[in-house]
Amino acid sequence: MPEAVFHTEKLVKTYRTGGAEVHALAGVDLDLYASELTVLLGPSGSGKSTLLNILGGLDHATSGKVMFRDLDLTVQSDRALTRFRRDHVGFVFQFYNLVPSLTARENVQMVTDIAPNPMRAEEALERVGMSDRIDHFPAELSGGQQQRVAIARAIAKRPEVLLCDEPTGALDSSTGVQVLEAIREINEDLGTTAIVITHNAAIQAMAHRVVRFQDGNIASVATNDTRIAPSEIVW
Amino acid sequence: MHALDKKLLRDFRRLWGQSLAIALVLACGVMILLTAFGMYRALDDTLAAFYERNEFADVWAMTEKAPRPLLSEISALPGVQTAEARVQEYLMLDLPGRVKSATGLALSLPDTGALPTLNVPLLRAGRLPDPQASDEVMVNEPFAEANGFEIGDTFEALMSGQKRRLTITGTALSPEFVYAIGPGTLMPDDESFGILWMPQAMLASAFDMSGAFNSVTLSLSRGAQEDQVIEALDTLLEPYGGTGAHGRDEQASNAFVTTEIKQLKNMATILPPVFFGISAFLVNMVIGRIIALERAEIGLLKALGYTDLHIAAHYVLLAGLTAVLGVVIGWVTGGLSARWMAGEYAQYFKFPYLIFNVSYDAYAISGFLALLTAAVGALRSAMGAAALPPAVAMSPPAPPRFKRSLLDRALSALRLSQPSMMIWRSLFRWPLRAAFSAIGLSLAVAIMISVGFFSYSINSIADIAFNQSNREDIVLLFTKERSLSALEDVRALPGVMEVEGELFTPVTLRNGPLEKQLSITTRGAGATLARSINETGRVVEIDGPGLLITTRVAEVLRLAPGDPVEVEFMSGRRETYTLTVAGVTEQFFGLGAFMTREAMSHLTRSAPQISVANVTLDPKEDDAFNRAIKDTPLISGAVRVTDMKASFDATVEENISIMNGLFSVVAILITVGLTYNSARIQLSERARELASLRILGFSNWEVSYILIGEIMLIAVLAQPLGWLIGYGLGHLMAASFASDLYTIPMVLPPAAYATASVVVLGTALASVLLVRQRIDRLDLVSVMKTRE
Ligand SMILES: Nc1ncnc2c1ncn2[C@@H]1O[C@H](COP(=O)(O)OP(=O)(O)OP(=O)(O)O)[C@@H](O)[C@H]1O
Ligand SMILES: [Mg+2]
Repeated sequence: MPEAVFHTEKLVKTYRTGGAEVHALAGVDLDLYASELTVLLGPSGSGKSTLLNILGGLDHATSGKVMFRDLDLTVQSDRALTRFRRDHVGFVFQFYNLVPSLTARENVQMVTDIAPNPMRAEEALERVGMSDRIDHFPAELSGGQQQRVAIARAIAKRPEVLLCDEPTGALDSSTGVQVLEAIREINEDLGTTAIVITHNAAIQAMAHRVVRFQDGNIASVATNDTRIAPSEIVW
Repeated sequence: MHALDKKLLRDFRRLWGQSLAIALVLACGVMILLTAFGMYRALDDTLAAFYERNEFADVWAMTEKAPRPLLSEISALPGVQTAEARVQEYLMLDLPGRVKSATGLALSLPDTGALPTLNVPLLRAGRLPDPQASDEVMVNEPFAEANGFEIGDTFEALMSGQKRRLTITGTALSPEFVYAIGPGTLMPDDESFGILWMPQAMLASAFDMSGAFNSVTLSLSRGAQEDQVIEALDTLLEPYGGTGAHGRDEQASNAFVTTEIKQLKNMATILPPVFFGISAFLVNMVIGRIIALERAEIGLLKALGYTDLHIAAHYVLLAGLTAVLGVVIGWVTGGLSARWMAGEYAQYFKFPYLIFNVSYDAYAISGFLALLTAAVGALRSAMGAAALPPAVAMSPPAPPRFKRSLLDRALSALRLSQPSMMIWRSLFRWPLRAAFSAIGLSLAVAIMISVGFFSYSINSIADIAFNQSNREDIVLLFTKERSLSALEDVRALPGVMEVEGELFTPVTLRNGPLEKQLSITTRGAGATLARSINETGRVVEIDGPGLLITTRVAEVLRLAPGDPVEVEFMSGRRETYTLTVAGVTEQFFGLGAFMTREAMSHLTRSAPQISVANVTLDPKEDDAFNRAIKDTPLISGAVRVTDMKASFDATVEENISIMNGLFSVVAILITVGLTYNSARIQLSERARELASLRILGFSNWEVSYILIGEIMLIAVLAQPLGWLIGYGLGHLMAASFASDLYTIPMVLPPAAYATASVVVLGTALASVLLVRQRIDRLDLVSVMKTRE
């Protein structure tokens, strides 16, 4: 059995809106393993983003336990969570979240400036095939290009885990493939543990494991015996 | 350079319009603080230096005529350091090329040919008169300048009925006449009033003062009790017709200058901090709102692993750049304007030099406070956003929950258009934010009203003083008190139409421990030229033996009609009586008390006397009249009410227009800073909403209406509050200006409110319209494509 990077027990997240309570996560038990590429699938509102945010230390759980290796994330202070994100986690968001006033290179430098052992911003951008757009501002890039800059920003610190929330959600299939290709390369070349949320069932074929969500809980976990390259995925 | 630093600079550039708008508001606060402090300190330091270097006296006393040897007795009084005796007389002057008369105050110079030891004139040009000469004179520099005199020029003076031609040997400035005000006038007029320093021998022989003096000045030794010295001096001088000694507080020039400086100090210590506070509040609020917009970005920075400290520093620096811009603008303009204003005042007062010490502490304090307020505003918002879990900060704020309330039902009943509904809803959704904006704008209105009232007040003062109370054309001053028959001599002068006499008697009024020195004005019953006017503008007649006093006297001595008041005469038989306060009248200049001629002569058991004659003139005979009075020994001076009004208007109007201008600029900058930023922030916050409306088919103007409507609605709602605060601030201003020399009534006609509102609303509209253009340029596609 490979080493578990993330381990959750009875993880619950409850939102209180007005009078109603929403159980975004209703007691999730999950293990995620080192160097694995895991795809999270599930209908809208099933709790995928919520789980990813909690794993990445972006949000607090209501109850239950989240372990990152030996670190219990549920008991960490805000300051310690910040450290955890800075040292170990790379994020890719659905809406890119680039800083509009910084160029592609500078957006990546935002991370390399503070990470303990980063690669050069240029190298990260080269990995995602963005070398020729290095001094462009986000407004001058297409959606797919912005998402690739966001991935470069996420991998530049050589994170242990790469958390991607619908990285291809806003992209057409060929751009989407480029982005997925970048994620797979990081996973394979650097051994980075990657978790990718998607609505696109076709993408599961590239994962080591596939976790399906339903109403704040895990409906099923499947292991792919044979994986296919992103370029062979069609949707 | 770090990526975050680049972001800082680029964000600053992106926000430059908004930053500049706030920076200017802050600059205003800093500038006013520096101007007020710098100016008042410069005048204070200059006055103190001039007084010290030129031995300004501590005590003054006048007598009719005292023998010289008395001086050694005065010098020997305990507490007296130096005593100096001199001869002092008012002279009627005939200046070349000037038809109207002028008045000179002649002061004797020591026989030794040296300068006096007290109130030492500072020689500006030429030399002192020769002590033996009988036709040489040194004049005060402003008088020489106003009349275009050069050293060696001559003019004529009427001395004891004899015309003498005097040659100017030099010019000087004196600490005694920093504010040189002639007898019977309200404002300095250097053309018609001069100080003449003349040899002792010449003055003494002309006025029968050989071996005698009629003026004595003292300096006190350290620790001396001024009131004890004054009392002892009064006792010594009483047999020689002493009219009561006084200290610096009642020396005319000093009283005016110190009052003025005190007012500046009040202005420096009350108002600028208020304005600074206002600007700090606005800056804090606006910066807070701008940074609140960066919430998603703050979430992102946290997600990427930046610490709270990093993030706080980043936004504090962003706000800090704005604050630094404001502080630098404020420092530069404040430093310049302080120096400029101090220079203007130094000219207005006759200071030989200006000591301007840079008030580093004022710079440091204003800079520190400005940076602090900006930083606190930024920190509050940045830390608020940083306290959120990044996942929450990065997701767009949940759509505000609009509730259906009673108000909503009321609004629906009004059948407003959808855009109007949006305006009202958003107002009720963020009532606090709307309230703060409204408060900010109301402060701008208030600032304008609080100084705007001055011009109305001054007009009302001038109207009461010159058009209603003193309706004569000319006041003729007699050399000494005369019987009523002197009026017949005046009536005989060419061009005289009406004549009325008045008597001025120096007294001390007392009510228990409270006392004031002033002059009682005695008038014939039913006088029509010089009259007393009450608050409602009615003429107040004194009936019976009582004393009519002015509002200021009533306030200071806590007297009301019907109260008894003790009156000690400071001249003649120096008797003390108890009179009844017959009424209170409005008078804005100086202190005053009035009696009828019958009552006064009954009280003093003597025939009625007069010391001035109020005259109306046939304008055609003006020249003949002027020529005639220059040769009339009876008369020591003539005060022209029209000239006085003109010089009053000129002096005051300039000051007021500078103040009005300054504070209008402040109000305008505050309005711009607030509305421009509010509009820009609104636009950022609601870009998606407004773009959606455009996509749905609303026109540019319909969409703009939402933006303009909300801000202008707040601006309109702010007006009544602004009027109220302005009224209060105005009262504060008026109260801080009140002194024994003059009081300023609160006169606030609707026009004052209207002007302030029109300026602020107009500025607000212009600022929003500037932002509105951005709606035309709104890139619908990109707004909808990107996340909020
Ligand atoms: N800030 C919030 N306040 C209240 N409820 C929330 C909040 N964030 C998420 N939820 C609720 O929690 C549940 C899970 O949301 P989550 O974002 O994890 O879904 P998801 O699986 O990522 O959906 P999608 O595929 O649409 O992104 C949803 O029902 C959502 O309405
Ligand atoms: Mg999601």
